[in-house]
Amino acid sequence: MQGQKIMVIDDEKIVGDMAKLALEQDGFYVETFLNGEPALERLKKEQFDVVVTDLKMKGIDGMEVLRTVKRLYPETKVIMITAFANLDAAIEALRGDVHDFFPKPVKIKELKASIQRALER
Amino acid sequence: MLGRIRSLLGLAKGSGQEAPPFRTVFKNFKEVLENNNRALEIIAELGDKLGGDYLFDINYIKSAYSDLAGAVYGSIQNFDVLTMNRYPQLHEVFSRIDDHIKTLIYDVTPSRGEMVLDYKDITWNMFREVGGKNAALAEMKNYLKLNIPDAFAVTTHAFDAFMAHNGLPEKIEAIRENPDPRSLERLRSEIIRGEIPPDLAVALQGAVERIRETFGRDCFLAVRSSAEEEDGDFSFAGQFETVLNVQARSKAVGEAYKKVLASLFSENSVAYQKMHGYRVGDIKMAVGCLVMVDAAKSGVIYSVAPNGDRDILVINSTWGLGTSVVEGQTDADMYMVKKEVEPLVVGTKYGRKDSMVIMREEGGTVKVRPAEEMVEAGTLAEEEVKALAAQAVQIEKHFRRPQDIEWAIDKSGKAFILQSRPLRIPEVVREGSGRREEYAAPHGVLMENMGVVVQKGVGAGRVFVVRHPGELDRFPKGSVLVAKFDSSNFVRVMPYVSAIITDTGTPTSHMASLCREFRVPTLVNTGAATRLLQHGQEITLKAGDDGAVVYDGVVRELLEYDDRNSLKMEELFEFRKRRYVLRYISVLNLVDPLIDAFTPEGCKTMHDILRFIHEKSVGELVERARYGNDMVKHHMAIKLDLPIPTGIMIVDIGGGLAAGGAPRSATLEQIVSVPLRAIVKGMMHPGVWHADAVSLGVNDFISSMMRMPDITTDGRDYAGYNVAVASGEYVNLSIRFGYHFNMLDCYCSENARNNHVYFRFVGGATDIVKRSRRVELIAAILREYGFNIVAKGDLVIGRLANISKGELEKVLDHLGRLIGYTRQLDAVLNDDSSVERFARNFLEERYTF
Repeated sequence: MQGQKIMVIDDEKIVGDMAKLALEQDGFYVETFLNGEPALERLKKEQFDVVVTDLKMKGIDGMEVLRTVKRLYPETKVIMITAFANLDAAIEALRGDVHDFFPKPVKIKELKASIQRALER
Repeated sequence: MLGRIRSLLGLAKGSGQEAPPFRTVFKNFKEVLENNNRALEIIAELGDKLGGDYLFDINYIKSAYSDLAGAVYGSIQNFDVLTMNRYPQLHEVFSRIDDHIKTLIYDVTPSRGEMVLDYKDITWNMFREVGGKNAALAEMKNYLKLNIPDAFAVTTHAFDAFMAHNGLPEKIEAIRENPDPRSLERLRSEIIRGEIPPDLAVALQGAVERIRETFGRDCFLAVRSSAEEEDGDFSFAGQFETVLNVQARSKAVGEAYKKVLASLFSENSVAYQKMHGYRVGDIKMAVGCLVMVDAAKSGVIYSVAPNGDRDILVINSTWGLGTSVVEGQTDADMYMVKKEVEPLVVGTKYGRKDSMVIMREEGGTVKVRPAEEMVEAGTLAEEEVKALAAQAVQIEKHFRRPQDIEWAIDKSGKAFILQSRPLRIPEVVREGSGRREEYAAPHGVLMENMGVVVQKGVGAGRVFVVRHPGELDRFPKGSVLVAKFDSSNFVRVMPYVSAIITDTGTPTSHMASLCREFRVPTLVNTGAATRLLQHGQEITLKAGDDGAVVYDGVVRELLEYDDRNSLKMEELFEFRKRRYVLRYISVLNLVDPLIDAFTPEGCKTMHDILRFIHEKSVGELVERARYGNDMVKHHMAIKLDLPIPTGIMIVDIGGGLAAGGAPRSATLEQIVSVPLRAIVKGMMHPGVWHADAVSLGVNDFISSMMRMPDITTDGRDYAGYNVAVASGEYVNLSIRFGYHFNMLDCYCSENARNNHVYFRFVGGATDIVKRSRRVELIAAILREYGFNIVAKGDLVIGRLANISKGELEKVLDHLGRLIGYTRQLDAVLNDDSSVERFARNFLEERYTF
């Protein structure tokens, strides 16, 4: 998976920082964004293999990211992370479209395993 | 009237309230435990989730903390009821800590803060106000207790005030996009000529005056840059000005201060800032003013060798002040040190030190030529090298990344740390990335599939078996701590421990939360560590999600693997910043209930509050239950029928005795109180209960007659009653045989953290020498079971907490035996050697005299 591209979108810097560090150790190329707009701009220019996005964000939220990604690149996998309280609603609303859901805090090991699965398919 | 005022102020004991019946007291006690448990579980959870294995966000911290605050507050309220509001200060302490935590998690930065801060008032989260260098130094001084010169910081608030006072922000704005050399130079000279605003001048003068009061009028300062981001994620090494040996007078300090500020706008520095994405004016400059160390020698330590070898640290050293080493101007000595338990000097190279920088008497510095015999002589003695190395290891471990450290040793031989910042080193990529297990293959496995992992990670070193807290004083840095019991006393050595392995213990104990805080790889409840691991043996503990393995010898590859994979998060500023909240949550300062600081005011964290409440609640319960005699009168007391004449009356406060049986007496079979049953069984252990009383000597008899009514009775009449107040999980046993008074209070449930045992022995009836021998004997025995002991005169108090039900039952059984055994002891303790002999006999279960 050397060089495979992962995008992480979360409005809290620490989430992107930690994810980048952890995923880069496994040889991924990682870009992080603090909100949806620049992330979608970037996606229009370039395809990523997996997009990990927060659900609730100001402006463009995780749902919109998901829709845009699926429209642009149906084969790109989207992993949604969200506060625990929002989980049930999110699962219901997005069933079928997302590769995986994780409530925060997300165990990094599990996120990595999920990305692995996403790339194998 | 006075009483009324006292009670209004909450000063009177119990504030005149009627003491509630013991059943209610016990119920309150259990409620305190419940809330305490909930709180400790949240603390453990937070420690885990913020440990680097999870992606978390601030909302998680907010919600977990809100649950925690609720539980701690609930605990305080139950505690108030239990103690009848005897600790009103606890509320104030709680809200102070709560404020600190909220400031951190809600990112509240005071819009106008202090202009000058003494180092002792700086905490790490003030990074933005005092800059990276000041924050790191204050951290080492206040938290690691390292030797840092006395100092104060001039904050970024002062910077803002200075710039605004001199109309500079507008000028910066004008050159923000295109800072050409000439406008930068103009800006610098305006700063140098600028006026210090009056309130800053007053604050500076106050700080300087305080330094002069302590260090005398001829004191000198080093005035150093400490920019917002400096020494944080970027080092800015050598970018900013440092003015050495400035007279401690406000005018001179003010001039030096302006010089340092101006250096923020030097051409080089602006270029460097630009390289890292900052524009002119993005970064604010705080300044540190440190008392000058009149250095005989000084230099720099790289905590990792420049080639990336993490086992080796390098010390550069020269005569006089360190400026020449820092700037690479002199051919310094170099010491290569292997980082081991006992640092080992593995290489030495003496430089030709033909110049040195020293302090001038009137201020400033001057370069001179050292005496001829010094030029090629080594600057450091081996002991000094080792001492510096040990400090460097500690600093590196604390900041969890390689460090670049400035140090100085003054003319009296005292070593100081002057700065520490992250050291960038090349990543060492090793050939072959085999599985971790393969690395360890050649090493024997000492323990496997045993115990519970409290903190994951890899730790290696020599085993140091701790049998009682006193031995911690001799704990060698970098060793692996092995002990029978887990204990919060271990906090004293936490910064120096490589790993901890215990026979008993739980992942939610006080110690466990300390291990998570300090990231000490820890394995508890192995049942056999003290048996399987030898004192002095080198071992490696690998603790992970899938359990733990202890290998024979140091498996260096495992250590490096761990280093590469789990500690990296520490390099993220955001991560360190978020985790900092744990400083006010999970750190435990109230370790020893016997020290003076064990007060509400001594509580600095939520964990401290919980610890305080638990300890004092047990004390409260013990005190209330002491008046068991009243309960004998008011409750239905039931006589315990045993083959041995203990004369115990049982007061059942709920679930202590099984129903049925004779109306006013109970047999052993009827006791369902777990702790009481264990004790009574111990008393009945074959051979423990000597039927024949050993005769008292005439002297013993006379001295017993001469003694004052002893403290055991508290003036009350206990005669005739031995009382056990019991519930299913609790007992308070007051038992008196002849002149021996034993009191044992115990809570014994499935939840180890709730459990405690408090044992008190007071004796009389013999001469003082024998009495003190008896105390020694009991203390020695209790220590073997892991008790914390206080012994004074003929009183011994032992406490033990957080112990599993099974273990506790065993301990109680032995305490039962001890009560029986010591009944006849006095008469046979004829010399000092007998103490050790009888203690050994007892521990080896030989109960005949």
